[in-house]
Amino acid sequence: MKAYMTTLNEIQEWMIKLSSKMPVFFPKRAGEVSFKFEQIENKADIQFGAYEPTIIPPVKKLMPAEEDLMTYKKGDDGSVDIQAVLDREARVLAGVRPCDLKAIFMMDKVFRDGVADPYYLTRREQTLIIGYACSNPCDETCFCSSVESLNHTEGADLMIYQIGAEYLVEELTEKGHNMIGDAPFFEIQDAAAKKIGFQVKRPEPFGRMFDAPVETLPETVFSHWKSEVWDKHVERCFSCGTCNLVCPTCYCFDVKDDVNLDVASGNRKRTWDACMLPGFASVAGGHNFRPDPAGRQRHRVKKKFEYLPMRFGHGSSCTGCGRCGRQCTAGIDIFDMVQDLIAQGVSV
Amino acid sequence: MNSQNHFHEAAYLPKMAKIIETRDMTEREKYFKLQLEEPLGHKPGQFVMVSILGIGEAPISISCGPTDEKTLEMVIRKTGRLTNVIHGMSEGQSLGIRGPYGTGFDLENFYGKNILFVAGGLGLAPLRSLIDPVMKDRERYGKITLISGCRTPAEELYRSKTDAWKQIEGVEVIRLVDRTANLRWDGEVGLVTAPIGRLELNPSKTVVALCGPPVMYKFVIMALDMKGIPHSQIYVDLERRMKCGVGKCGHCQINAQYCCQEGPVFCYSETMGLQEALS
Repeated sequence: MKAYMTTLNEIQEWMIKLSSKMPVFFPKRAGEVSFKFEQIENKADIQFGAYEPTIIPPVKKLMPAEEDLMTYKKGDDGSVDIQAVLDREARVLAGVRPCDLKAIFMMDKVFRDGVADPYYLTRREQTLIIGYACSNPCDETCFCSSVESLNHTEGADLMIYQIGAEYLVEELTEKGHNMIGDAPFFEIQDAAAKKIGFQVKRPEPFGRMFDAPVETLPETVFSHWKSEVWDKHVERCFSCGTCNLVCPTCYCFDVKDDVNLDVASGNRKRTWDACMLPGFASVAGGHNFRPDPAGRQRHRVKKKFEYLPMRFGHGSSCTGCGRCGRQCTAGIDIFDMVQDLIAQGVSV
Repeated sequence: MNSQNHFHEAAYLPKMAKIIETRDMTEREKYFKLQLEEPLGHKPGQFVMVSILGIGEAPISISCGPTDEKTLEMVIRKTGRLTNVIHGMSEGQSLGIRGPYGTGFDLENFYGKNILFVAGGLGLAPLRSLIDPVMKDRERYGKITLISGCRTPAEELYRSKTDAWKQIEGVEVIRLVDRTANLRWDGEVGLVTAPIGRLELNPSKTVVALCGPPVMYKFVIMALDMKGIPHSQIYVDLERRMKCGVGKCGHCQINAQYCCQEGPVFCYSETMGLQEALS
């Protein structure tokens, strides 16, 4: 695997060239303060650095808000033709921050677990990822360093580091190497030293920090089933599910059928669902396993900090991107909840 | 292709199965027998995702015991949009089926043991998938007791089955209703927990299988505790509203477990630490 130094102009020209072969998605300004992963059209669209995390994380390109699982068509003879709908279109996600790389890494685990999910994994195989390392916290909300997302690169095919006025481009996979192609980047041998230099220049602490190391969080969160922390933080929760929709490691869905006007054909699709919505854990007889907002909030926090880490043996499936806190209309922040639990200690 | 990415493109696709027998069991429950292309190859306690194209999909328990025949039996309660439409279907029409999913009961855990089955309401439908193979292989097991309760006589399921099981040697069947509702009733009146007190249960030799509404588990387990039955010998069959059946949609999540993957049958000693598992 090789590494290169290059300039913004050369990266822009290379990405524009890449975009003639397949769509390249990059965080583009949408409105005054928001950013959105959109297809690049010209060089000016590619600006590293000064963007807050997009409202919708890039991993959602691999699991869109609504996607067809299958189409069906009933014949006159009573036969039915059912076909899976798989999105095989190649694409590049570029400018993906480490927290969002970690989310993709976690979702790879979730969708490969048990019965592998053909829809996510087909898209995943067709998706090239160019990461972009953070040199400063995006704002006062993020806490990526605290959950060990800041240096996450696994899952990316290429990583880009801004070093002074120049850019370090590092190949992480064969696919990444092929993506570089004949780009006129200057090959270097001292990428490791340059990365260390990049890291030591970052502010310390980097964003908000929990008062406990990430590996202790599953046990801390596990030990608080009954806690006033849950009630305290949900007092103002509207159960709207926004935190779920913007979370890069929320993947729950609902399945619905749509009938075409001919009545003989249609499709089955899945749409994002949210465990914060009141009816999420209801069953047919009417029983709801999580009827209270506090119980649902607890489920969300435990899923990020306890359930998924326990299942996949990983410190935290919360990436510390800060989106849920940033978007919550009631100002509820998962960081504050976990910090309060840490303050209570591990109860036996 | 990445070696980690082995998947079946048809993982979420149903196969169409023709209804070959159907009849009303109660006002709300209807029995269905379906013709499959291949034997389902299921274990007792597993479930399938049942769908009507254009209407939707829902998880339904398998009611028949393991079989080499290419058939599937289910009892479906009319409870929502999909099941309402299913209730209007008749022989010759087709349903979409995928599965079987979930863990199910291991018959080996019951070999040589006295068995207590406790069914609440529709819980008898999935439990029948376990009772059938036990009755078929009667000599492998000790004394067998079935406690089956429902709200009123009009809601009783599988009367002909319970009558037939009662005839088998060493099998006791206790049928209860919460209230007779002024209907004729030849069983007992009370909750399923009531008869447990008078049963002679050898704690070391008895294995219990439970299936019913969420409210039932806690009280039955309290009654079993009084009898000294170890939690490791109690199996519970839980209900959740799975949307995918393959551990992805999140709807059946019980703490770190997916009911559709690690359940719906759990050994009680493994679920007692799981909050939200039973209620």
